[in-house]
Amino acid sequence: MIESLKKVRQHLLTGVSYAIPFIACGGIMIAAGIAFVPMGSNGPDFSNAPVFKFIFDVGAASFSFLLPVLAGYISYAIAGRPGLVPGFIGGYFSGQVKAGFLGAILIGLIAGWVVNWIKKMPVPKYIAPVMPILIIPILSGTIISLLMMKVIGIPIAGFMELLTHWLQGLGTGNAVVLAMILGAMIAFDMGGPVNKVAFFFGAAMIKEGNFGVMGACAAAICTPPLGLGLATFIRKKLWSEEEREAGLAAFSMGMIGITEGAIPFAASDPLRVIPCIMVGSMVASTIAMLGGVGDHAPHGGPIVLPVVDHRLMYVVAIIAGAIVTAVVINTVKALTGKKAEKSADGSKKPDRA
Amino acid sequence: MKIVAVTSCPTGIAHTYMAAEALEKKAKELGHAIKVETQGSMGIENELTSADVAAADCVIFAADIDVEKKERFEGKKIIEVSVQHAIKHPEKVFAKAQN
Repeated sequence: MIESLKKVRQHLLTGVSYAIPFIACGGIMIAAGIAFVPMGSNGPDFSNAPVFKFIFDVGAASFSFLLPVLAGYISYAIAGRPGLVPGFIGGYFSGQVKAGFLGAILIGLIAGWVVNWIKKMPVPKYIAPVMPILIIPILSGTIISLLMMKVIGIPIAGFMELLTHWLQGLGTGNAVVLAMILGAMIAFDMGGPVNKVAFFFGAAMIKEGNFGVMGACAAAICTPPLGLGLATFIRKKLWSEEEREAGLAAFSMGMIGITEGAIPFAASDPLRVIPCIMVGSMVASTIAMLGGVGDHAPHGGPIVLPVVDHRLMYVVAIIAGAIVTAVVINTVKALTGKKAEKSADGSKKPDRA
Repeated sequence: MKIVAVTSCPTGIAHTYMAAEALEKKAKELGHAIKVETQGSMGIENELTSADVAAADCVIFAADIDVEKKERFEGKKIIEVSVQHAIKHPEKVFAKAQN
């Protein structure tokens, strides 16, 4: 049971990994396109700005493929090439009936399983060659489209609307709770599966028009490496030489939104490092959420500043989070002793005073 | 031992390459020969040829997503671990490979 759940997760992540660049191109280009034109009552006014209209169109085109790609490659992960057709079509219809990324994920899984089931059907020898070219695409495409349009589309669309409204109408109290949960998840395994769930939630919401979730995530994403880098810098005596070098690398990675820079520290000293970076990330994400920070790109760190709403609060959130992380980890280290279980390169080192 | 490995993570920009580096470093330490193929967001790099695979005693998948072109490894002993595990505990991955 656990094994099949693990496999499902792997297939989902495969689809997600194909979809992320589409979110990046879509989010950034659309943001760039509308940033410099006047906003009319019906939307951005491109009448005097054909260049920005073009940029916007590129982004919109990228977004238009997002759901088909997501569903299509989840299906591909499960069933191989024959899975592409029902997956892509299912994702397309998920957009049409407004079932969004949840619908796309579900239909991608179903498409893959349906194709695998069709593959097992015994067929006469002369039919076998045209199975992948004709029979499977037509049969699975029809089944999946019917399922999406008539069965699962409507309840999921309803749920997506509920989710979007809930996120938009979040009172301050609940917004803080959401931000804290996101921040904790992002820092907990620094790029691992828990981090990915929070990140993907933020990324998917960009397409649905909510940039605040990603904004909170983006601040949380860079806080662990920036905070740890800062920590090794401000209290050099608490850290060994390789830790200080790792801190420098972590700081650079934090600037471009790569949480993984924190991993060497967490791997050698998880019991102290992980709670500290979680606290720092939670501070950053909460400030970002309260400040209305929005991120149009599925990425974090200062590097995405150009596509952030409320840039000042974003910077404040990151700086606050980094400082909190650095102060907390340094205080903990000072109080409980400099020695970690093992040093960052995996060998045991003697305690240094 | 002669080892081939494939690393692959969802975003494909950091973990994939960190895992590759961790495995290469640890292999060198332990005296194994290793070739690592990365499947990141740039696609397949340092691709393992059929000769590489045929000569290998063991195959390591350090991946959170499905490995592409899995057919190359049919019939070989495959160790599957998460990317995180390869980055944090490469020595355990090789211990698993030796059993």
